[in-house]
Amino acid sequence: MAGLLAGLANATVNASTVLILAGLGELISERAGVLNLGVEGIMLVGALSGFVTTVVTGSYWLGLGVAIIAGGLLSLVHAFLCISLNSDQAVSGIMLTLLGTGLTTYFGNSYSGNSISGFPERTIPFVGEVLVGIPIVGPALFQSTVTDYAALLLVPCVWLFLYRTNLGLELVSVGEDPETADTMGVDVYRMRYLAVIVGGAFAGAAGAHLSLAFNQIWSAGMTAGRGWIAVALVIFARWRPERILLGAYLFGLFNALQLYSQALDLTLAAGTPFASLFNPVIDFVMNPTIMSTYPYLATLLVLVVTVVRAENRELAQPSALVESYSRESD
Amino acid sequence: MQVDVELTAREEVPRWMVYGTPVFTVLAALAVSAVALVALDVSPLAAYEVMFVQTVTTEFGLTETVAKAVPLIFAGLAVYLPLKAQLWNIGAEGQLFMGAVVGTWIGLNVSLPMIGLLPLMFVGAGAAGALWIAVPAWLRARWGINEIITTLLFTFVAADIKNYVVRGPMQAPGANFPQTAQLPVAGQLPTVPGVGLPVGVLLAVVFVALTYLLVNHTRLGFEITFIGANDEAAEQAGMSTSKIYLFVLMVGGAFAGFAGISEISGVQTRLRAFFAPGYGFTAIPIALLGRNGAFQVLLAALFFAVIFVGGSSVQTLMSVPAAIVDVIQALIILFLITAEFFKRYSVALSVGRKPGPEPQAAARAEPEGEL
Repeated sequence: MAGLLAGLANATVNASTVLILAGLGELISERAGVLNLGVEGIMLVGALSGFVTTVVTGSYWLGLGVAIIAGGLLSLVHAFLCISLNSDQAVSGIMLTLLGTGLTTYFGNSYSGNSISGFPERTIPFVGEVLVGIPIVGPALFQSTVTDYAALLLVPCVWLFLYRTNLGLELVSVGEDPETADTMGVDVYRMRYLAVIVGGAFAGAAGAHLSLAFNQIWSAGMTAGRGWIAVALVIFARWRPERILLGAYLFGLFNALQLYSQALDLTLAAGTPFASLFNPVIDFVMNPTIMSTYPYLATLLVLVVTVVRAENRELAQPSALVESYSRESD
Repeated sequence: MQVDVELTAREEVPRWMVYGTPVFTVLAALAVSAVALVALDVSPLAAYEVMFVQTVTTEFGLTETVAKAVPLIFAGLAVYLPLKAQLWNIGAEGQLFMGAVVGTWIGLNVSLPMIGLLPLMFVGAGAAGALWIAVPAWLRARWGINEIITTLLFTFVAADIKNYVVRGPMQAPGANFPQTAQLPVAGQLPTVPGVGLPVGVLLAVVFVALTYLLVNHTRLGFEITFIGANDEAAEQAGMSTSKIYLFVLMVGGAFAGFAGISEISGVQTRLRAFFAPGYGFTAIPIALLGRNGAFQVLLAALFFAVIFVGGSSVQTLMSVPAAIVDVIQALIILFLITAEFFKRYSVALSVGRKPGPEPQAAARAEPEGEL
């Protein structure tokens, strides 16, 4: 059982890093009022550009850097369309996802199936030996890649940035009430550009983690919907960085449970009363395919509860989300 | 040197722009895609010749294109109608899956002659699509919850349900693949005698005409367009936006359900786990290209059918990844939404110093110049 739990913990942490990185990026963008549905495509571009750079130069650090820059550049297109041209944010984001999926499938063809040695798993210096010894979660948390640690570290960083720095508060104000922020002297356009580009850079890094640390290969469409989960995760987290961490682990746990659902035999023994009644229900509920719907349904539930209990405004979505801003009215 | 950009909102869109924009954007997208083709050492001219000329000049290509267009027309309408009320049905793909699942189930489990079975399958699929969007529609109408996010979430759930049924309850007995049994002949859309075209295309044209009549020639259609133009004014004029929202989204969902079953019944003849190459998402550029009217949606769907069919010919003949179709789609959207900006504003560029502009005008132009 302990082995099973350790495996589950390990798979959960492994699956979570991508979601933490992409989710934090999306959160930063949405906090400034810009929905970016292009995460999936940006992640793919990050994954491929990072992978190709690593193959060509042999340096996975350079790969990560290129992926971050590529993510930022691609989201710059979204920023330009949505912030400067006031285009529809949903459509522009879908366009980015189509573009990213198409371009990476198109140009990544010849790299498909190549494997590289990317980020190795390491323990933290000095204290690592001790921490890895913690039963069940020790190896999962403290025997990881640099990108895993970085994702964990970025959660408090983003929290501090949003709630404890001037720039962060300005960013949040732009997402809540751009008109007022503008009157207070915040450059709405510049702030939104910054948020969208940084958000895209996070998504690029998430993609690089996938191809350089998690899988260490490139294959077309390897994000497998994780970009969309990141979008859902931000709603689940009610636009709060600390809840991104919680949500990412929950999503990751479901992911891991799917892998282990065969091993977890929860069905009632044949003699137990009502076994024939409950077992088909348990089978259905524990079916790996059905289990993968739970995170989406949970997200929807959270969204509904959040909006319906709107009196708790602090937890609701940024008021100006999906609304374009233009100064022409003043 | 100083570059000044001055934007003025247009009073009305010039006529040439309304009709020229779709054409220009398609041409621009093809021009940029040519760069990608050159990068892979493929002659863009040869590729486009295969894609656009051979596809529409051979009988095989034409039949394939029309067959492919049927689900695209329905999916395009599924996005187009809510768009008239300024709502985005981003989740047509999910409603399409549910329509395919329910329609296929009816086809496999109800024994009726074709004349009864096919309509029943379409009604079931339409109802499934409408019900699948009912929750997001209700959430939008009642609580104002953004339909973009909810329809998208429902798409992922629908995809999982589809994958579940083809691996479990609906899997063909003894099959190793995630797929259902083949539909009985009574459940397969026939072809028009003598022409070889699927009957589905007639159905699609009928629904295009009905949508056109609804939007352009009924009171309901007027209310939809009015709400789309200004929902607050519509509320003040006594219209019920929430009823209209429910209506357009659910009818849209039914259209998406039709898209699903027409593809299964007309082309695939059985439901597979991997059957739809994203028709529900292609519906978005289709609705954008055709947002001026239902018949333009039809034309846009035909155009996308051509690049889908042409894209797979290019893939087999010239070993270019079929992903080029995704790239072209994305570029079309990119240029379309850029063009929307130029429809709304006229842009005056002036390089160098202006000969003494009014100080007030200069002050107003400045912050906008920064964009």
